Amino acid sequence: MEKVLEVKDLVVRYETDDGIVHAINGLSFSIDKERTLGLVGETGAGKTTAALSILNLVPDPPGVIAGGSIILDGKDVLSMGEKELERMRGNDVAMIFQDPMTALNPVIPVGQQIAESLEIHEGLSREEAMEKAKQMLEQVGISASRAYDYPHQLSGGMKQRVVIAIALACQPSLLIADEPTTALDVTIQAQVLSLMKGLIDNSHMSMLLITHDLGVVAEVCDDVAVMYAGRIVEIGSADDIFNHTLHPYTEGLFDSLPNLKARGEDLIPIKGLMPDPMHLPQGCSFHPRCPYATEACKTREPELKKAEGSHYVACIRYNESSFCLRRDKDAR
Amino acid sequence: MSKTRKTIILEGEEIEIYKGRSMAQETWRRLKRNKGAMIGIIFLVALMLATTVASFVYDYDKDIIAMSKDRFMPPSKDHILGTDNMGRDIFARVLYGAKYSLVISLGSTAIGLAVGLFLGALAGYYGGLIDNIVMRVTDIFYSIPYIMIAVVVVSMLGTSTMNLLLAMALGTFSNFARIGRASVMTVRDQEFIEAGRAIGLPTWKTIVKHVLPNCLSPIIVQTTLKVGSNIISASSLSFLGVGVTPPTPEWGAMLSDGRSYIRSSGWMCLFPGLAIMFTVLALNLLGDGLRDAMDPKLKR
Repeated sequence: MEKVLEVKDLVVRYETDDGIVHAINGLSFSIDKERTLGLVGETGAGKTTAALSILNLVPDPPGVIAGGSIILDGKDVLSMGEKELERMRGNDVAMIFQDPMTALNPVIPVGQQIAESLEIHEGLSREEAMEKAKQMLEQVGISASRAYDYPHQLSGGMKQRVVIAIALACQPSLLIADEPTTALDVTIQAQVLSLMKGLIDNSHMSMLLITHDLGVVAEVCDDVAVMYAGRIVEIGSADDIFNHTLHPYTEGLFDSLPNLKARGEDLIPIKGLMPDPMHLPQGCSFHPRCPYATEACKTREPELKKAEGSHYVACIRYNESSFCLRRDKDAR
Repeated sequence: MSKTRKTIILEGEEIEIYKGRSMAQETWRRLKRNKGAMIGIIFLVALMLATTVASFVYDYDKDIIAMSKDRFMPPSKDHILGTDNMGRDIFARVLYGAKYSLVISLGSTAIGLAVGLFLGALAGYYGGLIDNIVMRVTDIFYSIPYIMIAVVVVSMLGTSTMNLLLAMALGTFSNFARIGRASVMTVRDQEFIEAGRAIGLPTWKTIVKHVLPNCLSPIIVQTTLKVGSNIISASSLSFLGVGVTPPTPEWGAMLSDGRSYIRSSGWMCLFPGLAIMFTVLALNLLGDGLRDAMDPKLKR
């Protein structure tokens, strides 16, 4: 299948005065056309940095993209000039930001903010762009008459709809949604998600959905990538990840969620905290927290290996034929 | 509400049409409701009209600078604001002088604002080396009293209204550069600026359309204050002889002329002083109103 985005061996560091923050350490994944990839991980796993790298928007300084390649529609984003980048941003790739409260300019009416990217990328006149912006508003379920309202006159859910309208205005081939529903309450979350899903299916876009909410992933994503300390630890189709979990970290994530079918059961949290990205542990960066860790895990860095089909996992112990996660044992 | 609603009947059905207003229309609409701002505008417009009319009615050589023997006349029917130490009619001079004061103060503030804001926005947005260079240059100008700068500029270029204007702009821009930089820095790191870049906005457009409109309030307030203080600065410079040359009826110059006679003929100081005071007051009222009118959040 045709790939919209291919990220290979990406390394991003933040070189601060206090030391070097290793945000992304050899990240590789790809997104096929018209597929939705969910990028899952704890706070600090490097999810947002990964998203910003795709737009080449990592704040520099202190951010440095130290290696790897990001191929978008056949072109390398990291070698693009500033002009090319401006053309690419918003037109080929658009981003939905985490917090709609701050992602909109408070002193400009929302319609104009949608029209802006149309004016730049599609060369529409001010009036034409405004008309199109009103259509976009209708598409995301806001009356066109609200186009002249300022952001503070809209509710949180409506603001996020406006942000979605801005992102979708130029029909990008890839949409990056950085925790689009974190700032919204649960009812609005469901609305916004189904709206996004519908719009993406209609216009044949691909989406990279960044989240730490596995429920959201299950609802929306075709594929899932689990990220830990700047690396992919497990990637595969949603079915692979949810029903045939292979990595201990992924298992830990599922175990810390309440189960509807077994309400009385205790939750098993992953012990410890995310490692400090300034001092990542040697070997597998998950080993200090991993219940299955062995001596080998402390020294050897696991590589992403094919399990079956499109399902890949980065765990040394997966190679042992007798190794089996507790989850699978229980199931048997 | 920032839109007008019109209902039209199309094929028997009522359809509502919404139309937005431009930023200027919207600001004006809100400004009209602010009494203080309207008083300010009316005063300033009246002053401009009066000074225009005065330049046609009065003859510069005969009515404004020519001496007469009616010296130190208190306000009366012939001279409603009295006469000064050279026997010149103060009413005529105050009206005629308005244009000098306004042109010098508005002009120097406008130049200072444009240059200062440009430099400040640049420094604040980019930070790093550009910030350092721009701000150190600004600091140099900030550390020299504006009178010194003005004396140097005027003695190099010669005494004229235009040169005075330039000299005062040099003393003004550092203020705006600092305020511009500070307010741009508070807005620069907000998420909507990043969001703007994520949809492919060029840098200059980001600064002009998204950063500056969010910094307007402190800039407007500073501008109106600065216009007022520049009227007064111009008068100090005139007093030192590097400003407007003596017979020119500039308000500050008239005020300093009158100082020696303040005990015997107070009106010589009173009326130019009142003119300065009311103009500055009107400008401040206008600035205050503008700031409120341009802020969409204060809208009712």
